Amino acid sequence: MLPARFELHRPDSLATALALLDEYGEDASPYAGGTELLIAMKARVVRFAHIIDIKRIAELRGIVARDDGGLSIGALCSHHELANDPIVRKHAPAYARLSANIANIRVRVAGTLGGNLCFAEPHADPPALLCALGAEVCLAGSRGMRKLPLQDFILGELSTVRTDQELLVRIEVPGQPEGARAAYRAFGHLERPAAGVAAVAKPEGKGYAWRFFAGSMCGRPTALTLLEDAMAGQPPAEALESLERTAQAAVEHIETYDDLRGSADYKRHLVTVLALRSARAALGLEERVA
Amino acid sequence: MDSAKHLHGRTEIRADYLDKVTGEAKFASDIVVPGMLHGRILRSTLPHARILAIDTSAALAMPGVVAVLTGADLAGINAHWGLYLRDRPVIAIDRVRYVGEPVAAVAAVDEFTAEEALDAIQVDYESLPFVTDAEEAMAPGAPILHEDMNKLKDFYFKGETKAVPGTNIFQHYQYENGDVDKAFAGAHRVFEDSFTFPMVFHYAMEPHVVVADFREDSIALWSCAQSPTAVQKVLSQLFEIPLAKIRVVTPFVGGGFGGKASVKIDPLVAALSRKAARPVRVCLSITESMLTCRRLSAHVNLKTAVSEQGELLAKSVRVVMNGGAYADTGPAVAIKSAIRAIGPYRIPNLRLESMAVYTNTVPGAAFRSIGGPQAVWATESQMDMIAEALHIDPVAFRLANMLDKGGLVRPDLRPLDVDMPEMLKSALRLMDAEAGSNARARGVAVAATDPGVLPVGGAIVRLKADASVLVLANTVEIGQGTHGVLRSVAARALSQPIERISVPAPDTDVSPYDWGTGASRSSVVIGLAVEEACADIARQVRELAADLYGGEPEAFLLADGGVVGPNGMVSIRELLHALNGVDSGEFIGIGRITPRSKQGAFARAPLFWETAVGVGEIEVDVDTGEVRLERYVSAADVGHVLNRKAAEGQDEGAAVQGLGHSLYEELVYEDGQPINASMIDYHVPAMDEAPHQFVTLLVESGDGPGPEGARGMGEGGILPVAPVIANALARRYGARIRDLPMTPEKVWRALNDAKKKGGK
Repeated sequence: MLPARFELHRPDSLATALALLDEYGEDASPYAGGTELLIAMKARVVRFAHIIDIKRIAELRGIVARDDGGLSIGALCSHHELANDPIVRKHAPAYARLSANIANIRVRVAGTLGGNLCFAEPHADPPALLCALGAEVCLAGSRGMRKLPLQDFILGELSTVRTDQELLVRIEVPGQPEGARAAYRAFGHLERPAAGVAAVAKPEGKGYAWRFFAGSMCGRPTALTLLEDAMAGQPPAEALESLERTAQAAVEHIETYDDLRGSADYKRHLVTVLALRSARAALGLEERVA
Repeated sequence: MDSAKHLHGRTEIRADYLDKVTGEAKFASDIVVPGMLHGRILRSTLPHARILAIDTSAALAMPGVVAVLTGADLAGINAHWGLYLRDRPVIAIDRVRYVGEPVAAVAAVDEFTAEEALDAIQVDYESLPFVTDAEEAMAPGAPILHEDMNKLKDFYFKGETKAVPGTNIFQHYQYENGDVDKAFAGAHRVFEDSFTFPMVFHYAMEPHVVVADFREDSIALWSCAQSPTAVQKVLSQLFEIPLAKIRVVTPFVGGGFGGKASVKIDPLVAALSRKAARPVRVCLSITESMLTCRRLSAHVNLKTAVSEQGELLAKSVRVVMNGGAYADTGPAVAIKSAIRAIGPYRIPNLRLESMAVYTNTVPGAAFRSIGGPQAVWATESQMDMIAEALHIDPVAFRLANMLDKGGLVRPDLRPLDVDMPEMLKSALRLMDAEAGSNARARGVAVAATDPGVLPVGGAIVRLKADASVLVLANTVEIGQGTHGVLRSVAARALSQPIERISVPAPDTDVSPYDWGTGASRSSVVIGLAVEEACADIARQVRELAADLYGGEPEAFLLADGGVVGPNGMVSIRELLHALNGVDSGEFIGIGRITPRSKQGAFARAPLFWETAVGVGEIEVDVDTGEVRLERYVSAADVGHVLNRKAAEGQDEGAAVQGLGHSLYEELVYEDGQPINASMIDYHVPAMDEAPHQFVTLLVESGDGPGPEGARGMGEGGILPVAPVIANALARRYGARIRDLPMTPEKVWRALNDAKKKGGK
């Protein structure tokens, strides 16, 4: 299948790109890796008269270490770059590992983090861990920039707060306190994950303050607050016991649905399994193999 | 290299590999014909509907659009075709029967223009009631897909289908031997179990592609067809053009697995070329190929009677297959499915019944071991279930009931020609020797199938003056390595080095009739035809040499570059020089295989048995339900290995393809729509899902009907995989799964059920 005809624009600066977006509005789509957009265009489920190729815009590139130990990631960074970048590997090893396991090598080389987040396909790996790490996204428009938590950026399935006149330029991942740990575990038998859970643990009390986000369940990552409350400040072994005790209740009301990747009850069950696995991985414990 | 030459290239890897890895190889999709247009197809969005009107005027008005084909253009030709039933229009006429059915086709200067024009075509439909499930399609009051059953006899397969007019049943096959009811009544135990097998897609890497050039009184096609002569025959009847005026050329084909067997998109592309009066190329996307054909899904019910000692007394098989909107080769698939459910066992009382049913889904078609995986999945699962119930080891239970070599699977079929018990034991020994082998997580399955080999085909071999050799056959090189096999057969038969043997792409204008590339038949049937053609040449050469130089023909032997006689070596060129007066010319040999070949021995079916043994060990993530086939031994008695690399590749490919329907693959229908017909939502096994340890055991009994005692192969490996995994799951966890694919969710539920029952 082939896409409908469109006009291709290839701006080399952010300002030019934003001017084009202002001009064409909903008739235009930014285009980076194309791993989502081109498939949808070829299947003719979306159509744009104007395609704005943003790959030449230097302002959207690069990975920079922040002063607080976090990362500033250009929206055009591919999953493959993120998986192999020394700064990401040092400052966010869990995210580097996540990137290394996305889809397949062709998708990782072409697909960008910015595109992944803007397309907002729910069955995706990055959002859950980035939410758990407290990531923010920077949107540029001709009238200026705005910055908001990723959690608030994603509205639902294939839907974000980005307007047709805005571009996602950077993803800011704040530095984590000394001794913080993170991990992400996903599972699925088809191309995209059926479920994924991110765990971030920051030192607190005799153990950690935990953040858990379940991904791929519904339109946006879901915080597993019941787990977080149950495990807060507990020594690791106790925290894991609390997790196992609470997991069932924590997933009971997660919004999800039956689809090709599994029934809702199975996917909720997967979240309990993956929460434990990601928590254990974050703690550096060997993964339990059945 | 010297040893390779000595063996006439039998150790040569494969001549096509280098061209394929460098991109030099010309595939069907690489063909460019001067002046050709590009075609795209508008497909039905509804599962069953009447076409009220098609407005093509806006499309035709677009610059670059040359022609639009619809059902209205078929007036004046025989618009319907088929293999068993003439049930399929070249393009939809007044009615569509499945989502994806071609409704209109556009020929334009390029693909983009053609695709744009599809958008401009207006089709008005009136929805009709539809049915996508086979059982529902057989229920009273179900919408009927085909009011007429226009049957063909001895058309592509021998015989005709037993369709039931007024219903959706387009094949109803029955067979009975012994007194089944009496055996059931008197048996110690009778086991009745049902199993389901999903619709799965062939997923060849190259989608369907055809370039057609329709002239006033001739048609030329460059096609991905596995059966060029079937394409020729169907086109000849549709357009009333003589067979000799229809040329089908088949370059390298990027995989078929049955999905390109018989006839698929060729009539449509030819009709579009006819309308456009220009050559037209149509190359489908993978999604469109998924809407072109798929394996018949099946519901298999087995009733099996055993004695107290675990002896099989009787078996009743009932298979209901979902055949989709058009019959295609489905009637043959249904027959084979029933027969392949028997297994290599002694069963004195046997009842077989199978039905293939029209539904509003993608047409079902032949797929690697037609009907086999569906049947073996059921039978080999049930064998383990019975063994468990009788507290007998599943291998011992199989061996106790297994036919010895020469035993009769069915009295009317050729006796089993391989030693199955020994093959099973050998496979188990190999698995025991594997590092980390774990018998607790092991499953075993066996299969014996009767390939639908029509022993009809020919070859022409031409020995040139410089002792180079041209082998002309219509065997399609579809990735299986058949051209390499034919080269080595000719090299050995003519005692020439393999480097000098060429096998060009099949071309019906040049090469003799061959039934088709499928049913594991090419190495045997066309291999023998090439052997016979070479023997014909050898006879001519030796008689000429004897005539020219004196002595008996028997005193002359073909050798590298010529013939060796009592007075030494004479080159082929010298021979031809002496014959023709100039040092040019050639020897032409003809080989023909018919049911009368080998003193009529080929008339009895099957020509050989294609057998398989699978022994596998699994690992299960009990939390997620994910199953991994960790180690696998695949065994087959192939008689003789003609090319080890190609043979092992076929076996590995078949087994990993079987892993797909075992664990992942299923075309899912909701509300009449196929919801996962795309490369994203339909998953085939990837490299990291293949077994970590994989051993192919090729048994060489040397007594097959083909060259050097070879038997056909390449399909059997797909058969045991699913029951091996299911049997291992049941053995290790007490979790028995009866419907494929065994997705993690199904496994997880089965594990939960087993736990609740207090299983192992």
